[in-house]
This record gives sequence, structure tokens and C-alpha cells, in this order.
Amino acid sequence: MNVHDKYKPLTWWDKTYIPLVIDGLSVTLRHFFRNIRLHILNVLGIKTKERGAVTYQYPEEMRPLWPRTRTLHRLMRREDGSPRCVACMMCETACPARCIYIVAEERPDVQIEKQPKIFNIDLGKCVFCGYCVEACPEDAIRMDTGIIDIASYTRNGMLLTKEQLLNIQPKVENYVARPDLVEGQPIY
Amino acid sequence: MQALAEAAGKFIFFIGLIVLQIAAVLTWVERKQSAVMQDRIGANRATIFGMRMLGMFHMLADMLKLFTKEFFIPMGARKFIYLLAPMISLLFALVGFAAIPFGDVLIIGGREIPLQIANIDIGILYIFAVLGMAVYGVVLGAWASNNNYALLGGLRASAQMLSYEVAIGISLVGVIMVYQTVDLMEIARAQGQLLWGWLPQWGILWQPLGFLIFMAAGIAETKRIPFDAPEGESEIVGYFIEYSGMGFGMYFLTDFLETILIASLTVTFFLGGFQVPYLYADGFHFPWGQVVLLPNIVVAVLQFLSFLIKLILLLFIMMAIRWTLPRFRYDQIMHLGWKILLPASLINILITAVVLTLIG
Amino acid sequence: MPTITIDGKELTVDEGKTVIQAAEEAGIYIPRYCYHPGLRIVGQCRICLVEIEKMPKLQVACYTRVQDGMVVHVNSEKAKRARQQVLEFLLVNHPIDCPVCDQAGECYLQEYYMQFGLYDPKMIEDKNKKHKAVPVGPHVMLDSERCILCTRCVRFCDEISKTSELGVFNRGDRSELLPYPGKTLDNPYSANVVDICPVGALTERDFRFKVRVWYLDETKSVCPGCATGCNIEIHTSKARPYKNEGRRIARLKPRYNPEVNDYWICDYGRYGFLFVDDDSRIQQPLVQKDGQFNEVEWDNALYMIHGVLNQALENGKSVRILGSPQMSNEDLYALKRFGNEVLEIHDIPVTVKPLEKPYSDDFLIREDKNPNTRGAALLGFDTDHAATEKLLADCRNGGVHSLIIFHHDLFKGFAAEDVRSALDKVETVIFVGSNMQPTAELATYILPACTWAEKDGTFTNHAGRVQKFDAAVDPLENSLPEWKILRRLAKQFGHAFAYFEAEDVFRDMAKKVPAFAGMSYRALGDRGMVINENGRPSQQAEVKEELTVVSK
Ligand code: SF4
Ligand code: SF4
Ligand code: SF4
Ligand code: SF4
Repeated sequence: MNVHDKYKPLTWWDKTYIPLVIDGLSVTLRHFFRNIRLHILNVLGIKTKERGAVTYQYPEEMRPLWPRTRTLHRLMRREDGSPRCVACMMCETACPARCIYIVAEERPDVQIEKQPKIFNIDLGKCVFCGYCVEACPEDAIRMDTGIIDIASYTRNGMLLTKEQLLNIQPKVENYVARPDLVEGQPIY
Repeated sequence: MQALAEAAGKFIFFIGLIVLQIAAVLTWVERKQSAVMQDRIGANRATIFGMRMLGMFHMLADMLKLFTKEFFIPMGARKFIYLLAPMISLLFALVGFAAIPFGDVLIIGGREIPLQIANIDIGILYIFAVLGMAVYGVVLGAWASNNNYALLGGLRASAQMLSYEVAIGISLVGVIMVYQTVDLMEIARAQGQLLWGWLPQWGILWQPLGFLIFMAAGIAETKRIPFDAPEGESEIVGYFIEYSGMGFGMYFLTDFLETILIASLTVTFFLGGFQVPYLYADGFHFPWGQVVLLPNIVVAVLQFLSFLIKLILLLFIMMAIRWTLPRFRYDQIMHLGWKILLPASLINILITAVVLTLIG
Repeated sequence: MPTITIDGKELTVDEGKTVIQAAEEAGIYIPRYCYHPGLRIVGQCRICLVEIEKMPKLQVACYTRVQDGMVVHVNSEKAKRARQQVLEFLLVNHPIDCPVCDQAGECYLQEYYMQFGLYDPKMIEDKNKKHKAVPVGPHVMLDSERCILCTRCVRFCDEISKTSELGVFNRGDRSELLPYPGKTLDNPYSANVVDICPVGALTERDFRFKVRVWYLDETKSVCPGCATGCNIEIHTSKARPYKNEGRRIARLKPRYNPEVNDYWICDYGRYGFLFVDDDSRIQQPLVQKDGQFNEVEWDNALYMIHGVLNQALENGKSVRILGSPQMSNEDLYALKRFGNEVLEIHDIPVTVKPLEKPYSDDFLIREDKNPNTRGAALLGFDTDHAATEKLLADCRNGGVHSLIIFHHDLFKGFAAEDVRSALDKVETVIFVGSNMQPTAELATYILPACTWAEKDGTFTNHAGRVQKFDAAVDPLENSLPEWKILRRLAKQFGHAFAYFEAEDVFRDMAKKVPAFAGMSYRALGDRGMVINENGRPSQQAEVKEELTVVSK
């Protein structure tokens, strides 16, 4: 369809609004009757291919995540358990929200030299852009934990420290290869 | 004494048991219907002992909330008027129902009871009066709030309501011309007659244009989407911005009551009121000659159910419209009211007059 | 004077210049590692290869003398490719530690690699291991893996500091830069090797891991450490205050000024900024009561001080001032006006001779540790130490009712008993300064002055060069420049000093004081102007634009 067709001037008949109202109503009512039928079948326990609602009933029902969804950060460890991070501050520099706070210190192992003394991420400011992950030359920070329910009663509660970030238990089960095929379970 | 008891009975039945209950359910329907239309589930959080009942308890929860919330009176508000305004709104929304016939006559112990709370023979004028008063609740509330935004919302509301009352009034002139009466009961009864022996003469048959104009202007009168420039819950704030607790609750209820009132009026004027096709005072007389005699009480119940079903269907359509159309701009509202609906209703009178003269 | 053509530009240069210098005059930047304009030329790194017509091989631009009719191609394909290969060889054993390297961001390896690196390295051998993170001196950390053996640092120690601590040891790809056995890099100019090291082999220990260099802001300033007045840049970390242990000033770097300090500064000056963000800073006017200091608002403090001084003046008692050569010309001028016009004091001593003779040499470091003694003398202050001694003697005799001390810690110049006995006799001691110190603790009123890094102003160095410094950071808490303090105090006495910026003071001073005639902040520029003896401003040194790395 040519874009200009979308904006063709209204005819006299269109200007009465009546055909347009009927147009609109036909769309919404089509959805209404289709969904109500599916809901009734669902309540009666009859399986259907389609769902009556596209929404997920959070928190009862976790939304499945696409494999590349960016979720809560975590810091990776080396084999010996020390942080991979060398406090190069690339992530801090790349972060558009300026929510990463790093203070570096000397690492006893002179081959690596540097490590973070403080590594805080203020999730209250984070925009989940993932630039920090892209910027990291050490693969030390990742956003693949599958945790999206991040909330706190205080601002400080949104500030994750180095220890917390190193000890996050990823919930990989939240990642699904094809979330669009996972059916929500409506609660009525 | 007896007449008073009769009126009280009808009042309690129609307004207390039917209208107010429908209004309450509408608050739920509004959420659920919109949800289904938009591929959502809708309100389902309120539970009692784990029962969700399709979110029905949200009605209760809302009510509890509105009753227990602080009724806040802003600094500098005209306290008396501020308190009075929502009540005025509610009052005039409720009294409108007095003139609506929801059945023909019910005979109890030989006594003929017309199923209409107040049998007013100038019913249409009464309705106009009531609709005209509704604007006071809005404007007074807006003005008494001592809030610029409320006042602006009130101004928008009054301009809109006054404009559309004109269209409502003139669109009904056609109905008056067709049925030669301003008594709502008479109008409803007249719609029971048949044309060519089989077609019920509902108002929509004679007044299709009048029906459309009345519906459009009626929705505008209720200040609901697409005519919700005065309230604009989601973005622009409206005349009741300062109201909280039950003050807001009353405005909220008025909103739904007005919707029901407009729907009832539409049913009465254009959809045959309480008429069931081919049902007369003594039973069904089908056009092919069959006759099913029924006792008066069954007829009354059937008529009432007919009224109710028509009402509910119309409410459904009004809800669907509310969740389908986007909001008109203020200038578009005025344009529609004055430049389209008003001339259209005048043309409607003309056409009606010509047709009536031709038919004789 | 030979005429040569560089990349199509024809120019005439002085005899004896090399191609790299000629190119610089033409505004063409030739990459360099070992070449440094302040050091002898060695032609070590080969990154500056250029193509010269009629020469069979590529030549190093830094070592090749210009000859008449020379045609040089800096950016020919051949030259570019050669530089690319040289860079590739330099990186053969380089650890590429950039994430942990403090040089990252101002590293010439990174810089040139971005411009003409190979981007597709061919070297796969294992890298040689060398010493990492060796503290070679009090201020310098060595990572010899990162060293590209340009020998700039070696030449600096040989030629400039003349202490020869560093050398290159071993041969071939095992060559390594190290201090000579038993030597540490502790000469008073040692940290300059950090500035000249083009890579991250030599880094500062004080600055180590504190802030990444791209977070820093730069402000032009003048070192307040001694009467030389070396030109410096103040690097501040303002956007990310949680770094650098809360210090706002991250480091000082020398700024090129051929008239004063060339490319160098001494270590005392380089690390002399720590008092700016020290805990001892005075942040709020203080009033002593029963041995306790209580914070008060500026207006209250000035009101009280005015009360005390005014009463003393009315009762004919003596009020005296001890100024300080730490103050800028503007502050001293305001003080002079305050003394002359408000308190009617005409002899204001400023100097205190330290008890121990400070270190000095004949290169940059001077014995006078104050940046503005010359300026104070020009403004009519008494810069003789004897005047201060006399002032203290007056105090001891009970002849002084109130004394305003600027900055000085008297305990550094006099025996403790002398100071105490003198100040005990003074009714009211008012101290104006930036940091808490023993003399301040004897005062009744303490007013917080801000440091040189927090205000605009000028210093006049020992040679009479007036040099401008800019505010690098905001004044700490409620501290104020001294001229502002004096303006506000004068207002209490009903005198209006119509100054709103430091520049206003300077303009007024340039009008009234002949030595500064014709000067303005604008005319001072980056290199300053010499005070004029004959009433005419000296010509400002020609400012040559620093060549930046030109990306091609
Ligand atoms: S996801 Fe984006 S905003 Fe969040 S910490 Fe990383 S870089 Fe910053
Ligand atoms: S970019 Fe990676 S290595 Fe560098 S500071 Fe961030 S997490 Fe650490
Ligand atoms: S010297 Fe330069 S290239 Fe080498 S690690 Fe440091 S920043 Fe990187
Ligand atoms: S340490 Fe730096 S200045 Fe010294 S030779 Fe190595 S690269 Fe050159």
C-alpha cells in the first residue's frame, strides 16, 4: 500500500464518522468475541491453539525471556575465584547512565596488577543498555542472569556491590529458546 | 398513601435494584470488557479466600476504598458548594430515571400500576430539564475546587454539555412529531403498533437519523470517550481533579448513571422501549394469526426483561465505542456539535415533516 | 638558510635543523617516540621514517639535517608502510596491558596504532617476560615489559637531572630498561620521566590506578611551590568524585614554557598540591571560645571581627597585619588597599624565614619557597624578614592589640616559645588561611581562604614574570579567595572595593601600580609577561601552538 493512500482525504460519507466508527468497532468487537470464546473454552478446560490474552500473569507467571534479553548484571570469576574484572573502567566509561562506580586497587598478582576495590552498580539508574558488557575487554561483566525482578524499598537497596555482583545466582531457566511459543496461563 | 407506597416500591425496585446495580456492575464491565477487547485479562487481583470471581471483587474493593478514603477539601475551596456539587450531579442523574417506563402496566389486586416511577405527561421536557441541570454539578464542583485546572475542565464540560443538549433536544423533535406526544409512556406504547401488519414501529424505523444524532449527542452528554475532553482521566485533568474519597465516588457513579440514563432514553425513544414484538396486554398475537394468551404478570415480566436486555445491549455497544474511538479534540467536539449534529437534526425535522405530510 | 619541500609545502628553515623540526614548523606532525625537543637526538625508535627524494632508503626524520632542495614525503605510501612495520615490531614483545595500564588514553602506542596500525597482526610468538610493577623510586613505577626502549628517560637522567640512574641492560629482544644496580630514581626531578615516557612503562605511583586519564579535566596554572613559578597543568577529576579517594586534584603536569621551566617541573612542586584536598582544610569561619572552635556564618564572623577592630581603632590601639607571599598579586593588592585605606597601616611585613634552609639548586628549585615574594615587594610590602621579627617583638612588648595573620605558620620560622610569648600578648589574633596549623590554633578568629587551585590570579616569579593561573576546582565549602574576604571585611568598615572577579582587581592594580602597567589577563596569555622597569610592558613571548597528533 502506498503511504499516501493512508492519508487520502476523507469523503463526505467518511466525514460523518459513521463508517469509521463502524470500522473501529468491527476490529475491537472481533477481538472481543474471539477472546471471549477462547476464554470460555479455556475455563471449560478445552485446549486451544490460541490464547485469549497476550499478557503474562506476573508474578505468578514468569515471562519467558529471549536468549539475548539483557537481565541483571553479574561479575565473573577466574578459576581461582578472584574477580575477572581488572578495574579498567571501560564499562564505567561506556555507561550512558553513569551508574557504575569503580575504585581500583593493587592486585597481589603482579601479572594482573589491578582489581576493583569498589564495584557498584546503581540499578536505580541503569537503563539496561548492555554497553558495559560490550565494553568489557575481560568478559568480566555479563547481563545473562535471567533475573528481571529487581526492586527495593530504598534507593540504597538498588545499589549492588562487588560482593553481591560476584555472588548472584543466575536463573538461566528463565531463558527459553522460543518464548513466543510458550503459552501464558490466564488467571481469571 | 397507596399511591405513595406504589411510587416508593417502584423507586426501590427500579432505581435501587436495577439502575444502581447496573451502575456498579458497569464499573467492572468497563475493565473486563476493555481487557477482552485488548487481548488482556483485566482486573483479577482482588480475592476473597482465594476466590477471584473474574475480578468481581474489585467493585467491592473500590467501594470500600472510596468510602474509607479521606474526603479532602482543598485550601480556599468553597466548602459548602464543594460538598454539594457531587450530590447535585448524582441527584439529577438519578431523578432522570423517574420518567423512564420500564414496563406497561402491572395489575395487582385489580389495581393498575403503570411501570414508570412518575407518570409525567410532559416526560420529554422533564428529561430535558434534568439533563440541563446535570451541568450544574460539574460547573459548581469545578469552580468550588479553587483549582485552575478544575475550572478549565469545568468550562470545557459546560461548553460541551450545553452544545450537545441543543442537538439532543432537536433530535427528539422528530420523535415527538411522529408519535404526537411528549409522554414517554405514550411514546413507548405507540412503538408497539405494527406497520403493514408485521413490522413493529420502533422509533429507529421512523427516525434513523434522529437515532444516530441522539446517540452521539447522548454519549457527549455523558462526557465519556470519545467526548471526554472535560475529564480526560489519563492526560488532561478534569473538573473533579480535587475530589477524593466519596466526592470523587459520586462523580464516578454519576458518570455511569448518566450512561445508563442515556441508554434507557435511547431504548425508550428508538428501540421500542419495553415492547416485545407482537406482545400485547393479553399475550402474543403473531402476524400469522397465532395467539398465545398470557397472564398480565407474565406479560409485565417479559416487557421488563425486554427493556433490560435492550438496555444491556446498548450499554455494551456504548462501552465498545468508548474503548474503540480516540478522544476528539476540543475544537472537533464543538465542530461536531454545532456544525454537524445541529444542522443534521434540523434536516431530520424537515424530512420527518415532509414524510409525515406525504403519508398523511 | 636551506629551503626544503615537505609534503608539497615549501619552507626555509634555519641551518642545522632536522627534518622533524622543520616539519613541525610547517605544521606537519611526524610520529616520534625517542625524539623529544628537550633532549638530545638519538634516532632510536625508527618510527619517524620519511621518504626523501634522491636517497635510496627511508631516513629518520629526527636525525636527518635539512639540506637545500630537499624534498621530503612524510605521508607517502612507502613511508606510511614503513612506520606501520616499525610499530608492528615495537609491539612484538609488548604486553598490551591497556586495561590495567595507567598510560591508556595518552599512550603513543595506542595513538599511532589507531592511526596507522596494521590491525591484522602477523606475530604469534610468545612474548618475552620482563619485570612488572617495579617501584624504581619514590614516585615512579616501572613496567619494563611495556618499555619500547626509546631511552628518553635514560637521556633525561643523563642530561637534565644529571643523575644517571637509568640504563638499558641486556641485548636484543631481552634488552630491558632498569635502574643501575643499587640506585633508585630519587632525584628531585624524577617524575618527569613519567611525562616523557611515550608509553606506560614509567607511571606515577601517586596517581597509580586512581583515575583513568580520560576522566580528567585540565586547567592551566602556575606552580606555587617556589619562586620559579613553573608552568603547570592541573588535572582534576570532578565528574566522578568517588574516585581518587575524594581528592579533586588528580595530578599536576608541567606545561611548556621556554622562558621558565621548559618541559619540566620538580617533584616537590608536582606533589605539592596535596594540601588542597587535605583533611586539615578550613571549611567554615571559626571562632575560638574557651579553647573550642565554633563554626559561624561568614556574615557573623565578619561582623564580630569588624567590631573588634573598630573598637581597637577607636581606642587608639594598634592593629597590625602579617601578609604572605603565598598570596596572589590580586590578594596582595586588595590587602594593601585594605591596610592603607581601611586600617591605615602602611608597613605590612610578609616574609618569614624558615628555620631550616630549604633545598635549592641551580636548575629550577629555588630557596624561596613562596611564589610571589617579588610581587609583594613590587606592591610595596616589606619583604624583609627583619620586619616580621620586629612585628613579633612589638607583640611581645604588648604594643599590638589585634593581629591579622595570612597563611603563615610562625612556628616554622621562629622558636615555639617566641611565637607563643608574642601571640599571648595580642588581644585578638585573626588568622586567614586555607589549612589548620599550629599558628591558626592560637587565633581567636579563623577565616577560610581558598587555595591557589580554587581561584583565578597571578603570581610574579623571582625574575619578575607575571603569570596567570586559573581556578581548577570550586572553592572548598565556604572558603573564599583572600581578595573577596578583604572586600567583604572592608564593606563592614564602610569601604567599597568594587571588585567582582579577580580580573577586576588585576585591572585596578595594572592602572595604579607602575610595575604592572599595561598588563591584563588577556595580554598575559599562557606564558606571562615580565614586569617592566621602565614603565612599558615587555613584549609577550611568542606563543607557538603546541602541535597535536594529526590523524591522517
Ligand atoms: S546496562 Fe547500560 S546503563 Fe546499565 S550499567 Fe551497563 S552500561 Fe550502564
Ligand atoms: S570493563 Fe570489565 S574489566 Fe573493565 S572494569 Fe568493567 S567489568 Fe571490570
Ligand atoms: S603502554 Fe600503551 S599500548 Fe602498552 S599497555 Fe600501556 S596503554 Fe596499552
Ligand atoms: S621507560 Fe619509557 S621513556 Fe624509558 S626507554 Fe622505556 S619507553 Fe622510553
